[in-house]
Order: sequence, then structure tokens, then C-alpha cells
Amino acid sequence: MVKTRIWALLLGGIFLACVAAYFVLDGMQPAGQVANIYQNGVCIASFDLSKVAEGETYVVQDSHGCNIIEVEPGRIRMKEADCPDQICVRAGWSGEGAKPIVCLPHRLVIQIEAEANMQGTDALDAISN
Amino acid sequence: MKRVVIPFFLCAMLLSGCSSTRTGENGGDQQSEPWQSTVFAMDTVMAFTVYGHPELQEPMSQLVSRLESLWSVTDADSEICALNQDGQAALSPETENLLGKGLELCQRSGGALDLSIYPVVRSWGFTTGAYQVPEENSLKALCAAVDYRKIALDIQNHTVSLPKGMEIDLGSIAKGYTGDCLAEMLRQAGVTSALLNLGGNVQAIGAKSDGSPWKVGIRNPLGEGNLGVVQIKNQAVVTSGGYERYFEQDGKTYWHIMDPETGRPADNGLVSVTVIGDEGVVCDAFSTALFVMGLDRAAELWRGSNDFEAVFVDKNGNVSITEGLEGRFKPLDAYADSSVTVIRRG
Repeated sequence: MVKTRIWALLLGGIFLACVAAYFVLDGMQPAGQVANIYQNGVCIASFDLSKVAEGETYVVQDSHGCNIIEVEPGRIRMKEADCPDQICVRAGWSGEGAKPIVCLPHRLVIQIEAEANMQGTDALDAISN
Repeated sequence: MKRVVIPFFLCAMLLSGCSSTRTGENGGDQQSEPWQSTVFAMDTVMAFTVYGHPELQEPMSQLVSRLESLWSVTDADSEICALNQDGQAALSPETENLLGKGLELCQRSGGALDLSIYPVVRSWGFTTGAYQVPEENSLKALCAAVDYRKIALDIQNHTVSLPKGMEIDLGSIAKGYTGDCLAEMLRQAGVTSALLNLGGNVQAIGAKSDGSPWKVGIRNPLGEGNLGVVQIKNQAVVTSGGYERYFEQDGKTYWHIMDPETGRPADNGLVSVTVIGDEGVVCDAFSTALFVMGLDRAAELWRGSNDFEAVFVDKNGNVSITEGLEGRFKPLDAYADSSVTVIRRG
């Protein structure tokens, strides 16, 4: 009887350790989608969309021009830009990964990444447009 | 005893859950790590994801730059610019090959794709962003000079000449062909899994690292999200839609895909055409051509071909697919519950 109790405690302890390890390991990886901002192919900023608590804006200003990026919980967009074509602004909100928001004249790309952890069966590898 | 066994199983399940999360990122391919690179070229942004062979990053970007420098209509030193200026030019093997393929595709499309439409596109302001609706008379004059059959390609002497007043642009096929060239480079180097996105032209090398097909979404032309997903291995997916480059004037929308017959934005009932096939250049050319042709003529061209499949969306949001996509295409988002018409050969 005592033996059984020891075994139960031991296995219960391993179980708890497993649970703890699970959450620790899970926490080490980005839990949701990360939006990376690339300028000329170089990552200049990064937002974990699942951890954004309230809306904020991020301004990118350089010799090409000015872009205002807006971040909200779970999504991101190019709010304003002084580029001539406004394609990036028209692209609207992005929260689904795969399709980057691109401001070609300013060589700025918002790319949703770290989808590997989110991948369900319907996760897309790319968008044709 | 039961009390002991249950937590034990829970432990085992959780442990296996942990380990699958950790290896999941690399898929089934334990040997090759993926790398990514971004190239700004050909008036778009290209994103490459390649498993293994990171030494190819520089050659890939150099290949894109070289092809762009040959075909740019704005770079005064390009072969196409020289051709448009002088009416004739000597051609590099790459340009000759692309032009030859382009002319063949123009012919197969019955002129719905025409490489000499460039002066018309320019008159609408799509090349500069200074949009305008051209005068009817000037459109007529410009259209009269549009005829790909008068592009005289001399494959013996590697030259080409154009009639007076004609200018050409390879923009409708250049990205597709560049995708083919990059894919060829990767395959020759031994890459078995890569996904190239050339500004929305998607080109797959092999399958995903776990052996499953790549899942390529097709953008919804009438709103947010995607209209569907198509599964591919070793193929290209190219979409033409009126939604990306357009302007509005007096309440009317004018998009950049021109009908060579009228010199006006193609208006034959379709708002988006996606072409899936082995060759990027065919997909690129025919996504434009089928958009111009409208559904009935497009279906006819498909019935007489065996090198591509297609997804069509009309103005009312009706989706049609060619029969080769049955089982590989799935509607998504706003289209998830709508019926899809299958176009058949018989």
C-alpha cells in the first residue's frame, strides 16, 4: 500500500513536471504571429501580434519617405504613407500571415512570420495575387 | 493501479506533444535548414524560402538583377529600351528565349496577350502613376500600332526589329520567366524544396519539407481575405486581377490589364484569373490573356491546351475552376460555402 502511494506520488510529480515543462517550452516560443518590419530587406522592428495589448503606431522615416504603421491586437497595417501609389495603405489590415504588406517605393515590407507554431491544416505558404 | 496508469499516460502524451512542437518547425526535413531572402526588383518585392544551399542566395539575386537589366523599359541601357528606341536590337540568349516564348504565347492567346501593348498602357499613365483616360482618337492611333505579329524575331542572327511606332514590354511575362530561371538554378544545385514569391507570382520547387504539397492562397478580388487555396508541387501559380493597379475617375474604375482590341481596360466579365502550371512564363502570360478573353473564350483556350489549369472569378463573385484542379482547390473565407463550377473538357 505504501509502495503504491510512493509510485503514485512519483508519477504525479513527473506529471506535474511535464505540465510545467510544457508551459515553459511553449512560453519560450512565440505563441502567435510576429510581424517583422523590413527596410531594404533588413529587419528594423518586430511586433508579437498576440501580445499587443492596445493599439500603437510606429513611424518609419528615411530618405525614401515616411510610413506610419499601426499595430492592434492580432493585426497590423500601413496606416499612412507618403508614397505615390498608396498600394501599401490600400492593402489594409493583415493578420493572417503569408501575405506581406509592401511599400515598394519606400522598400518597406511588413511580413507576418513565426507561423510555424500556428500552423493548422489550412495555413497558407504563400498568396498569389 | 488505474490511478497510477492514467497520469503516466498523460505524461507520455504531453511529452510527445512537447517534442512534436519542437521538431515541427523543421518539418520532416532534418538535413536542410530553410533560409529566406528578399529582393527588390522588376517593380516588385520577391521573397524566397529555400531549404538548404544557402550559398545560392547571392547567385539568385544576381540572376534577377541581370534579367531586370536586360528587360527594364525604364533603364536606358536595357536591350528592350534599346529596341524600343532604335526599332531593332541584338539580343542576348535570355531575351531571345523569352521573346520567342512570349510571341508563341501571344499567338496561342489569339492576340489577347500582346507584347506591343506598351504604348497604350503608358498613355493611361500606368507606367508612371500619372493616371488619365486618354482621348478616343489617340487610343485608336495607338491601337493601330499594336500587333505582336509584326515583331520580327530573327533567331538565326539573334536580332529583332519592330515596325515604326511600335514599342514592346516584356513585363507581362518577365516575372514568370524569371521564376522559371530561378527554379532551374535551384533544381540544378540539388534543392528539392523551395517556394519563390515574385511579387505574387508563386513558384514552387518540389514539395514542402515534409513532402506535402505547398498551399497557395488566391486573393479574393472582391474584398478581404482569400477566395481559395490550391495545392501544388513543382508548379507555378500566377494571378491577374484588376484590384492591384487601378485608378478611379468620375466614379469609374480603370485597371491596368488592357484589351489589345480596344486599348481600354479589359472588361469581359472577369475580375480575377489564376493560372497554375509547370512553367511560370505560361502562367504569367495566360493569367493576363484569359482575363482579357473572358470566361467562354478562356475555357476554349484551356480545352485546346494541356499545360495549365485555371481559377476564374467573375464580377458577381462566381468561381469556376478547370477540371484538373478538382481535389486540389478549396474555397476559403467568404467563398467557403459558395459553389464552384467545374469546367470540363468533354
